[in-house]
Formats: sequence, structure tokens, C-alpha cells
Amino acid sequence: MSKLTEKHNYKGTLVCVEGIDGSGKSTQLALLRDWLKSIGQDVIFTEWNSSELISQTTKLAKKKNMLSPRTFSLLHAVDFADRLKQVIDPALKAGFIVLADRYAYTAFARDVARGVDPQWVRNVYNFAIKPDLAIYFDINPKDSMERICSNRTPKFYEAGMDLKLSNDPYESYMIFQGRVIDEYKKMVDEFGLIKLDAMDSIHSKQVRIREMLKEVLNNKGVNI
Amino acid sequence: MTQFKTKHGYEGLLIVIEGTDGSGKSTQLELLKRYIQAQSYGVIISEWKTSRLIANVIDDAKDRNLLNATTYSLLYAADFADRLENTIIPALKSGFIVLLDRYYYTALARDVVRGQDIEWVKNLYDYAPEPDLIFYLDMPVDVLLKRIIGTTGLNYYESGRDVGFSSDFYKSFEIYQNKCLEQYEKMKSEYNFISIDGTKSIEEIHSIMNFEVQKILNSGVLY
Repeated sequence: MSKLTEKHNYKGTLVCVEGIDGSGKSTQLALLRDWLKSIGQDVIFTEWNSSELISQTTKLAKKKNMLSPRTFSLLHAVDFADRLKQVIDPALKAGFIVLADRYAYTAFARDVARGVDPQWVRNVYNFAIKPDLAIYFDINPKDSMERICSNRTPKFYEAGMDLKLSNDPYESYMIFQGRVIDEYKKMVDEFGLIKLDAMDSIHSKQVRIREMLKEVLNNKGVNI
Repeated sequence: MTQFKTKHGYEGLLIVIEGTDGSGKSTQLELLKRYIQAQSYGVIISEWKTSRLIANVIDDAKDRNLLNATTYSLLYAADFADRLENTIIPALKSGFIVLLDRYYYTALARDVVRGQDIEWVKNLYDYAPEPDLIFYLDMPVDVLLKRIIGTTGLNYYESGRDVGFSSDFYKSFEIYQNKCLEQYEKMKSEYNFISIDGTKSIEEIHSIMNFEVQKILNSGVLY
């Protein structure tokens, strides 16, 4: 049984944003955080691959191209488990609004795009708490690449170069991120992710997100 | 003699020695390695928690008591995956006899004792090839205690102090190792362990292992 499909009973509220790089999710989350703080809400922010325990190791291993799809998956799961127990779970118990830049869905999208079995990685993350609101920013690979690669080449793993799809990092990026997007799209129904068009204006997306969050909080009896 | 069939489909053989800390695994592994080498077979040893990717991270995290039950499980699973993909499977493919000091049964025992769901742990390792032989060195807890206190001394995680069974080191070790032994006991039949009384002499244990290994070698599976 997976916790990811069961409503949680914490006092706090968990919001996560998902999407490939360049989809604007971090911008939206930063705007949301600043606003929530300005109106006096207790809010904390946590991002993918940032745990004290393992994130440096993972980054170093990525630099050295040492990771297989399986170890890539497991190291990110370590990071997630560490943050879940150290940061997310206590904050939810204390009634905070927890904003997560990427969540377990990132692993499902990326790892499966790397050929890891979908059920296997879902089982690995079955201890993850189901978010109250999970937003997916939909963008096509080309627009994403234009946004993030205007002044640099795509990185090895971000381009899926480990899969040897193409020797050209740009081409590889297009193919690999295309697969990641396919996985995200499947999860819209599977996990009830809310899809927003990444190409909409910053303002209109922020308005939608605040509306949705207000509704979630209202249902918990919190009015903001 | 009927042809021996490997359980994993690779050219080589996968032989595991399991048992709790202090049960004499490393000693037996060395002896077995020499025995096999003497017959001109290619043989390598791979030990638990020795991946170049992550082993030192685990040690460091343990030193600083940074691990919870879930990160403990996942870090070991990552270490295992790295060794499996970079050492064990390539060796098996090339026809080596791979001798393993601990295999995923160790994770099953330790993680379940730490409160993890057994099915969750099994899933972590479900892609691992099945060994051709699994030796289990069965040791009563009182003998283990003496051995460990007499050699390395009690350490925090080996004593299961992280699980919070008792703040008394000795008591905690006793409870933790007993619980691990219970798990091994359950796995004996499920995974066809060849269980050997660990209190027997080194030579006696060695000859039991040799006998089992020799049976497989005599079948000509590696010719």
C-alpha cells in the first residue's frame, strides 16, 4: 500500500511543483513563498537533491558520470527520504505549509525515462506523503531547451547522455526530456497532478496557483 | 552426473556466505577462495558495503548518527546496486566464481529489524541475481557476543542502538542480534540456505563448504 495515494492527516499542507527544467516551476514557487510569508503564514521550502546526507555525493557522482539508472534512482531516493523525515514530516506536523520544488513524481518521470521499471520506483517511494496540491508545468522539450541552454550546453544526465541516445547533447536532451514529459503526462491522471501550461504568463499562473492553494486551505478550515 | 544449471543464467557462479557479525564469514571466504584458486578457476571476492560510489558515505553518516531506518535501507541498496552492476555481474558474465561476503539477505534481516516492511525491502533488491549457493553460518547469540566484544568491540549500529531497544549497550546488542537471527531463521527455508553450525571448528566448516562447491565444479558447469 502506498502512502502516495492516501490523504494525509497532518495539520500542515504540502504543495509541490513538477515539470522539466525551464518550465518555470521554481519561479512560481518563489513567488508563492514570498507571498505566503508576507501574509504571515508559516512556510518552509525544500528542493530536490538538497539533503545534507547525500546531495553532495550525488552531485559529485554525476560530475564523474558514475551513475547507472538504478544507482541514480536510489541516491535520489536517499535524498528524498532524508528530507522527508528531517524536514517535510516535522514541518507538516507543526502545521506549516511545505513547498517542495520537485517531489517523488520527478523520480517516477526521470527514472522511468531511463528504463527503470515504473512499479519498482513507485514501490521505492511508497513512504512518500501525498501532497495536498501537486502542480505540473507542461512545456515542450524545445521551449525548455531554449530557456535553459541559451548560454550553456545541457548537462550529461539532464540530457540523458548516459542512455546513449545521441552523441549530440542538444539532440539527446530533446529525446530524453521528451520521454520525461511523456511520463509526467501519464501521472496527471494516475496521481491527480494539476497541469498548467508553462507558456502562460508568470502572472496568470501565479493567480491560478494562489486560487488553488486558498481552496485547499479553506477545506482545512484555514482562511487566507 | 547431471549438468548443474546456474540460477541466474550467467557464465560464472555466485556463492554467498551469510551470517551475523562475528560469525566467521571473512575467514571462511578467504579459505574458500584459496581452495577454488588452487583448481585454476577465476575467483573474486566482493564484500558488503564496499562500493566506490557510496561506502564511505555510509560510514561517515553512521559515525555522525545521521541515518533513519529508511535512509539506512536505501543507502545500502545503492551500495549494493553499484557493486552489482560494476563488479558482480561483469565478473559473472566473464565466467568468474564470485564469492560474496553477505548478500541482500543481510539487508532483509537488518532492515526488517529496523521496522521496514519486508515487501518494501524485497522490492529494493528484486533485480538481484539468485545465488547458486548460500552458506549460512549459524551462531548462538552468546557466542557472537563474546567474539565481538573480544575483537572489534560493540559499535552503535551493530548493537542496534539506533533502533532504541535499550540504552544499555550490551542489552541492546543482545536484543538486536537476536532479532536479526530470527529473521535469518525465517529465510533459511525460503531461500534454501545451507545452514552450518558456526561453532564448529574453522576446518570443519571449511570442508563442508568445499564439499558443496566441489559438487558444482565437478558437474563441469564452468568448462
